[in-house]
Amino acid sequence: MTDDALYVYGVIENEDLDLDIEGVNGAERAYTVSYQSLAAVVSDIDTVEPERSDENVQCHDEVLQTILEHDGGRTVVPMSFGMGFKNKRTLKNVLRNARPVFSRTLREIDGMVELGLKVLTDEDADVDTDEIVAEVEERFDRISVNVVENQLFSDRLVINRSYLVERADREAFNEAVGEFEDDHDELLVQYTGPWAPYNFVDIEITAQR
Amino acid sequence: MFIVDDILFQPFISILDAIHTLAVTEMYNIEGIQSDLKENQLLYELGERDQSEYESRKAELEAELETAELAHEQLDNKNIQIRQ
Repeated sequence: MTDDALYVYGVIENEDLDLDIEGVNGAERAYTVSYQSLAAVVSDIDTVEPERSDENVQCHDEVLQTILEHDGGRTVVPMSFGMGFKNKRTLKNVLRNARPVFSRTLREIDGMVELGLKVLTDEDADVDTDEIVAEVEERFDRISVNVVENQLFSDRLVINRSYLVERADREAFNEAVGEFEDDHDELLVQYTGPWAPYNFVDIEITAQR
Repeated sequence: MFIVDDILFQPFISILDAIHTLAVTEMYNIEGIQSDLKENQLLYELGERDQSEYESRKAELEAELETAELAHEQLDNKNIQIRQ
């Protein structure tokens, strides 16, 4: 089967990039397809509907993280998993039609990354969850530009939040997480990122792909 | 006669249908299973579950999810049999 389709990871400001990196469906490189001020980060792929396997989703995230951090880092508008396009022409059509919204979003999240924070109680622990929530808000809200509360999918989860943070404030955020962990031996903390700001962009591609 | 049957039978079908829908929704709670999958992953990442425990629980939950999705698919297709 030929790799005549394109898989899109995200959109950045126009820039030529070509990276040897494992992509979705075994792709071996990610590169940019430009349209005016924008560039889509893509891989050649043999289908417009790749399987949503754990491995593929992980590759999607890793390409975005690499683009986000590569060579000093840049702002990325991430696509959700599964954006395959028939060819460059259809992709460029989408970039042309959605250029105002991509450009606005790139401005809105310029220089920012997403960080994830999950806090769990130990099993059978007796903790005041309201107090933990209030403390987390007090410590982290001031270092972030925006915050999204995600689903508490476990009874043990007290906090599951995504923070939009300026790159310049990442160190301060890291330190705040470290201090929070030091002060709470009774809690388990999972701190992840930086991610492309999935939870802070909302662009729906409905055009013919 | 048909009209009488129809009137008498209609609410009965609706109730059975509703009970069946409730039972399927309750027994095959897709959202609940997806939450358990996420919890399993998180506890593994945090070192609370070892790899074999994580993998066996994952396989169990994925099988449950597949069954649940099939049940809901049948429900959506109205593949419900009501015996008179």
